Amino acid sequence: MSKAPRARRALIPTVAAFVCAGVIAIAEAQPPDFTGVYETYRAPQGQGQGRASGFGGPRAGLPLTEEGKRRVEEYGVLAGPTRLNGATFCADYGVPTMMTLPGAYPIEFIQKPNQLTIIYEVNNETRRIYIGDRQVEPEKRLPSRAGYSAGHWEGKVLVVKTTDLVDAQDQTGNPYSDQATIDERFSLEEANGKKVLTYQATITDPVYYTAPVTLPERKYQLYDGFIIPYGCQDEIWSELLDLRRDQLKAGKPVDARMSDVYKVREARE
Amino acid sequence: MRTHMKTIVVAACGFALALFTAAAMAHHSAAQFDFGQRVTIEGVVKEFNVTNPHTWAVVSITDAKRGTRDAQYEGHSASHFYRAGYTRDMVKVGDKIAILIAPRRDGEDGGFIQAFTVNGKTVGFGGLSPETGQRTSAASQ
Repeated sequence: MSKAPRARRALIPTVAAFVCAGVIAIAEAQPPDFTGVYETYRAPQGQGQGRASGFGGPRAGLPLTEEGKRRVEEYGVLAGPTRLNGATFCADYGVPTMMTLPGAYPIEFIQKPNQLTIIYEVNNETRRIYIGDRQVEPEKRLPSRAGYSAGHWEGKVLVVKTTDLVDAQDQTGNPYSDQATIDERFSLEEANGKKVLTYQATITDPVYYTAPVTLPERKYQLYDGFIIPYGCQDEIWSELLDLRRDQLKAGKPVDARMSDVYKVREARE
Repeated sequence: MRTHMKTIVVAACGFALALFTAAAMAHHSAAQFDFGQRVTIEGVVKEFNVTNPHTWAVVSITDAKRGTRDAQYEGHSASHFYRAGYTRDMVKVGDKIAILIAPRRDGEDGGFIQAFTVNGKTVGFGGLSPETGQRTSAASQ
C-alpha cells in the first residue's frame, strides 16, 4: 500500500472532528424558534405573575417629569369615576401593553428568519419585528401604537428597539410619548417541562420620565390551545346595521348613524 | 314567573377569581360593579349576545318588591365565554337562566356575569357556581 492513501486515512478522524465541531457550533449559534401560542406563565405551585397591564399596573414611584405628572392627573380626570379605558372601545393596547397580556388572553408568535410576527388575541392585535438588514426606511415609518420594531440576535436573545410610537397611555394611565423608545429582549428556555418565553422591556421617554422605566419581567408558557378570532369593531358595525334594519322594517327612513349606536350602548350602561 | 333573588356574600375565592376579576377589569369600565359580592338572579332570557369586547344580556326578572322588569347584564368577552365552556347557541331567547353576578354598586338592576346555568348546563368563570357562589372543581377556564 502506498504512503498517500495511508496519510489520507490518518486524516479522516481529524476531519471528522472538525466537521462535528462545526455542526455543533452552528447548532449552538442557531437562534431559538419562538413560534407557538403562549399563555401567562404559572409557576408549579399554581401562582401567577400577578396582575399586570402595560407598565405593570399602578406603580408608585415612577420617575415622572412635571409634564408626566400633569398627564397622569389629566388622564385620571378624562377616564372619570368609571375608569374608562380604550379596550372598552376596541382600541388596540399598543406596545408594550399588549405584551403584558391584559385580560390573560393567549398570544401567538410566528417566526421567520427576517421577521417575528406577534398576534395578541384581543382585537387580533398584530405587531411585526423586522430582523436583520430588511428594514423600513425611517422617513417611511407611520407612527402607531405598536411603533416600529427592529431586531437583531445577540446569541440566543432577540434584542429589539421599538420607536415611532404615538403619544398614548397604558391601561392604568401611565403615559408614553411619541419620543419614547422601548428596548426589548426575548429569550426562550425550558421550565418545568414547558417552553417558556421571557420578555423584558425598558422604556426611555424624556417627555414623561426622568429616567428609564423597566417593566416587570413577563414570562409566557406554551399553550395547548388555539387563538380564538376576536372581532370587536365589527360588533359596532353590526349594531348600526341592526338599527337600520329596524328602521327598514318599520317603514321609516333608513338613516341611523353611528352616534345612534352609541346612544343605544349608553342606554345599556 | 316567580323569581328568587338571594344575596350570597362570597369570601375570597382564590387565584381563579382574582384572575377573572382582573380579566373583567382589563376590558371593562368595571368600577360600577361590586366584585366583593355575588348575587344569583333567575329569570327568562330576552337577549343574550356573546360578543366582544364584552357580552351583554337582557333578562326578565321578577321579585315581590319591584315586580317584573327587564334587567341588563354585562359579561366577559366572547373569547372568555368559549374558553369557559360556552358553546354556540347554548342560550336562546325564552330560556330560563340563573346567573351569578357581581351586582351594581348603586343597587340598581344589572351586574357583571360570573357564572350561569341554563338548560342544565353551567358555565363558570374562574370556576364559580351560580347556585352557591362558590368555586367548583368541575368548572374549567
